[in-house]
Amino acid sequence: MIRVAAVGDIHMGPDSRGLLRPAFDTLPDCADLLLLAGDLTRHGTPEEARVVAQELRGLPVPVVAVLGNHDHHDEQPEKVTAILQDAGVRVLEGEGTVVECDGTRLGVAGAKGFGGGFVGRSAGEFGEPLMKEFVRYTRRSADALHTALEELADKGCELRIALTHFSPVADTLAGEPPEIYPFLGSYLLAEAIDTAGADLSVHGHAHAGTEHGMTAGGVRVRNVAQPVIRRAFNVYQLHTAELLAE
Amino acid sequence: MSETGAGRAHGVGHAPAAENVEYRVAHLRDRLATEELGELGVRAEVRAGSVVVTGTVPSTQCRETVLRTVREELTGISVHTDVVVAETTSPDHAEDLP
Repeated sequence: MIRVAAVGDIHMGPDSRGLLRPAFDTLPDCADLLLLAGDLTRHGTPEEARVVAQELRGLPVPVVAVLGNHDHHDEQPEKVTAILQDAGVRVLEGEGTVVECDGTRLGVAGAKGFGGGFVGRSAGEFGEPLMKEFVRYTRRSADALHTALEELADKGCELRIALTHFSPVADTLAGEPPEIYPFLGSYLLAEAIDTAGADLSVHGHAHAGTEHGMTAGGVRVRNVAQPVIRRAFNVYQLHTAELLAE
Repeated sequence: MSETGAGRAHGVGHAPAAENVEYRVAHLRDRLATEELGELGVRAEVRAGSVVVTGTVPSTQCRETVLRTVREELTGISVHTDVVVAETTSPDHAEDLP
């Protein structure tokens, strides 16, 4: 069994120093790794990123993160990434990482993702260049997530998690106004997850959404936005196929 | 509600007050997003002549800033707020995903 702690949308700023560290210090007792589902800052400034980094530095469990739209607002995502990496965080954008937990290889494929909406109510790659680029941006992110998941399978990972900021499904948006769903996620992410395969999909972004959902292909989805889970993080216990067969 | 026409209905003598409330709510949301908070998770909606502001924010200071901005932007309008600070405790159990 692998215990996966996850939270997104912690939106840290200068007034957040020390808010989450007491809870994060309990991680070794209850989790094997921590996933961060983006929107770690409010505006994506280096100053805010340093607050997040300080909150995470030296944690005795691996920390894997994707950035969110807020982390891009100051248009310095590379700097935010570097500051987090300096604190030991594995920041993923269209790539995967392997975490060894008690002899089990867990793969995490991460991508921020983007919007576009869900089947039957989605944006198309048509018309003005900006509109086409909107959809293409999401498609590139989904394609990268798909490739990363496949590569993790090739590396022999017994369990794989898709970590995004934007949602792959509408299920976990329930509670948000339906009119803004196209800005909260895209079915392209779910299609990537279903075709490449995963054991769990974790995302944030939808503060008024719902924790539980599922892709059309049966992959469980969890919205771990902090306002949704109402905790510093949630923990999910995953089992390998061999363990389940016992 | 009765005071809402005064501020923004320049030269529109008989503009319906309800329209002005809607635009003021839109301006409030713009301010919350673009000013110091970068706050997109607070919802403000017109309900039965009042504005209801709800959401979860990351800190006590953020909550105070949201409420101050609401007061400034919606002066004269009946406002109900339910803005809470995100909880930061550890979970007391895990979800098993067999």
